[in-house]
Amino acid sequence: MTLSFWRYSHLALAVFSAAFLIIASVTGTILAVDAIQQKIPPHRVENFENITLGQTLAVLKKNYPEITEVSIDHNQFVTLQAIDNDGNDVNGYINPATAKIIGTPVKKSDFINWVTGLHRSLFLHETGRLFVGINSFLLVLIAISGFALVINRQRGLRNFFAKIIKEYFAQYYHVLLGRLALIPILIIAISGTYLSMERFHLFENKNENQTETPTTTAAKKTFDLKNTSLAEVTKIEFPFSEDPEDYYIFELKDRKIEVNQYSNEIISEELFSTTQLLSDLSLDLHTGRANGIWAFILGLASLNILFFIYSGFAMTFKRRASRIKNKFTAQESKYILLVGSENGSSLRFANAILKQIIDNGEKAHLAQLNNYTSYPKAEHLLIFTSTYGLGDAPSNASKFVSLLETNNQQQHINYSVIGFGSKSYPDFCGFAKEIDTLLETKNWANRLLALHTVNDKSAEEFVSWVKSWSAQTDIPLSTTPSVYNHIPKGLQQVMVLDKTTVSEKEQTFLLTLRAGIRSKFTSGDLLAIYPANDNRERLYSIGKHTGNIQLAVKLHPNGLGSAFLYNLKPGDTIKTQIINNHAFHFPKKARQVVLISNGTGIAPFLGMIEQNKKKTEIHLYSGFRQKTEITAHYEKFAAEMRQKQYLSQFHLAYSREENHHYVMDLIQMDADFFAILLQNDGVIMICGALAMQFDVEKVLDTICIAKNNTTLSEYKAKGQILTDCY
Amino acid sequence: MKAIIKTALTGAFILLLSFQATAQSSKYKCMLQMSNYMGEGAYVVVSLINAKGEYEKTLYVMGDDKKWYNSLKEWYKFNSKKPSNISAITGASVTGGDRSITTIEIENSKINHGYKLRFESAVEDQKYHVNDVEIPLTTAGIAAKSEGKGYIRYVRLSKI
Repeated sequence: MTLSFWRYSHLALAVFSAAFLIIASVTGTILAVDAIQQKIPPHRVENFENITLGQTLAVLKKNYPEITEVSIDHNQFVTLQAIDNDGNDVNGYINPATAKIIGTPVKKSDFINWVTGLHRSLFLHETGRLFVGINSFLLVLIAISGFALVINRQRGLRNFFAKIIKEYFAQYYHVLLGRLALIPILIIAISGTYLSMERFHLFENKNENQTETPTTTAAKKTFDLKNTSLAEVTKIEFPFSEDPEDYYIFELKDRKIEVNQYSNEIISEELFSTTQLLSDLSLDLHTGRANGIWAFILGLASLNILFFIYSGFAMTFKRRASRIKNKFTAQESKYILLVGSENGSSLRFANAILKQIIDNGEKAHLAQLNNYTSYPKAEHLLIFTSTYGLGDAPSNASKFVSLLETNNQQQHINYSVIGFGSKSYPDFCGFAKEIDTLLETKNWANRLLALHTVNDKSAEEFVSWVKSWSAQTDIPLSTTPSVYNHIPKGLQQVMVLDKTTVSEKEQTFLLTLRAGIRSKFTSGDLLAIYPANDNRERLYSIGKHTGNIQLAVKLHPNGLGSAFLYNLKPGDTIKTQIINNHAFHFPKKARQVVLISNGTGIAPFLGMIEQNKKKTEIHLYSGFRQKTEITAHYEKFAAEMRQKQYLSQFHLAYSREENHHYVMDLIQMDADFFAILLQNDGVIMICGALAMQFDVEKVLDTICIAKNNTTLSEYKAKGQILTDCY
Repeated sequence: MKAIIKTALTGAFILLLSFQATAQSSKYKCMLQMSNYMGEGAYVVVSLINAKGEYEKTLYVMGDDKKWYNSLKEWYKFNSKKPSNISAITGASVTGGDRSITTIEIENSKINHGYKLRFESAVEDQKYHVNDVEIPLTTAGIAAKSEGKGYIRYVRLSKI
């Protein structure tokens, strides 16, 4: 609830002020660069702190007959305005110790003036300033709501700087940079708001009296020129004439004093009001004029704002795209469709049904299984769910079982469960089966149809459920399979370059494909193919081999994907989709990486090793059934890579050779190595069969408990265990 | 013959001298004390006005962004008609309560001949003053402290 409040405020504020923020951050970046550049000419003298006011005044009077003003800016550059002995005007940077001219002040270029005007008021004078002020205030609110969102995401203030879970580029960097830039952005926004509001005299009235009446209590005191350092002064106005009524005016950091030019007696002393000091501080903070490093940080923060606008909108669009749009609420609907889906394919089927029910004039509502609630008007409950891993709930259905226990429906509801999955896994539709039997125990639930399963997104199998349900409910639904078929758009053509052949002993072949010039991929990404040009999709792990896509495929007797690929000839083209699999990219920072595979799982690792130009220490553990042509090929490859120092160790296990070794046995043998590796932030990547992954994790867990006094889950949470198994 | 040459030479010499005399000018220190008005820095332009009340020369411009020059309406008209290079006599704008000291150069021949110094001022989004301060260029006028009517509190001049 609170999450959506913060998220909507954050988004609404950003949408409202995006155009302004783009202008302000672009101009802000330019001004920050300008502020840094101003620091570059070295007009600051050494030992500036040790020069006293008396010293400077004496040397100036000796060299110049007429002096009007000396000012010391934020860079501690000293500017002199005077007339020299030849009667010429002098306006330049001086060395305060010698009174020598060391440079001329450069006027702000027209461009910088223009940028400043745009930044301050969008060239709209007072109206513009007001608008800028309001928008900087909105930026304060954006920063605060962003802060609340980070706390929400990280589950508390304590974990504020804990690791962020990477879902995708825009999300990850939005949060990562958001945390870092929060403080500078808040400072920019608050000081900017203050500076804009100051123009409207919101803070002036109270202090008017103070500026008008100089305090004269300090009379008779003299100003000690000898012991006042020049660094304390910002401006010296010299007496206009020799008349004793004309005074020196010294502006210090916090006050302005008038001093008799002959006796050095302090005539009046005026403390700056807090508003003046605050506005000075705001200017320092907002412009970075006093400190080059701060100006640099401000520039970076401005650039960050631009990135936030981009990534924030990218996130919003991504969220919108996958959001379920409902015409009717859960409370008013007669038909409730619930979806459990890992990658959205069950959602597609459910959406097709939802549309048809609504077209029939009925009220229907679609939701994720995790949003299960009470449905007072419901008569039918349809559950479309896939299964994750080995019989587990998909990510958007993880809470359903507990929700079902707490939310009892008040009326009888007919339910029907449709399970989606693949028969190549042992627990085919395991989660759907679990739900189906669980619902049976509820007294409000009445099973309308027995559990239907759909193998491999088959539209034909789905239609058989459609027919039975349609017959039971008298709602006419389309029974044409093509209605439920979906072929993704924007597929990429790739060309077959090379293919190895299988033998009686070895059913695995290597396939090399050439991707389009502009396609970006790396080892560990996935290649999706559509062998029958329908719903059915097959995913293969990519190894990047000399810039091309290399797949290791095992030919199954009736395998849809493998047979399709094996029948390709060099020169053929196929339609594919490269899926970025960021969670399984080679770690950039780790010093030691272990790669564990069985069977064709070695494919992405071959690419990763080949790409290891940084010579990260890689240990490869691979399991196969027996020694064949292809394992010989792997061994040859490994030897080459070891020579180039791209690979440090290659351990092989053959389950059907004399010693019947599995990768788990190899890991067990190197238990000490694995324990130390994990302790030293090394990374383990696993690719291959799911069963192998579980066995490997079990072995590693025992090692962790025995040697590191912790469990594997701790290293998993730290992102040291990366898996891609099937 | 000789006499003619002599007179001619003398005449030329006198002419040259008198020419030099007209070109003779003096520098003045000019102090501008601003009143405590609220708002942006004021743009102030100092011009030499002849006896007929016409602009004759721009002596100093406080404010360096040309974008705002049109807010000094009367002077802007003159300066657009007879543009002169003012980059050497341009300084920063002056904010409320501040003091600004500049040096201006006035030809000696203009003194006590009906000329005036005009200070006109303008502030962003606020009133424009054609005659914020006007100082008659007489010995007494230069010595006096001249009060302003707009953003300027007073002006003092002092010959260097």
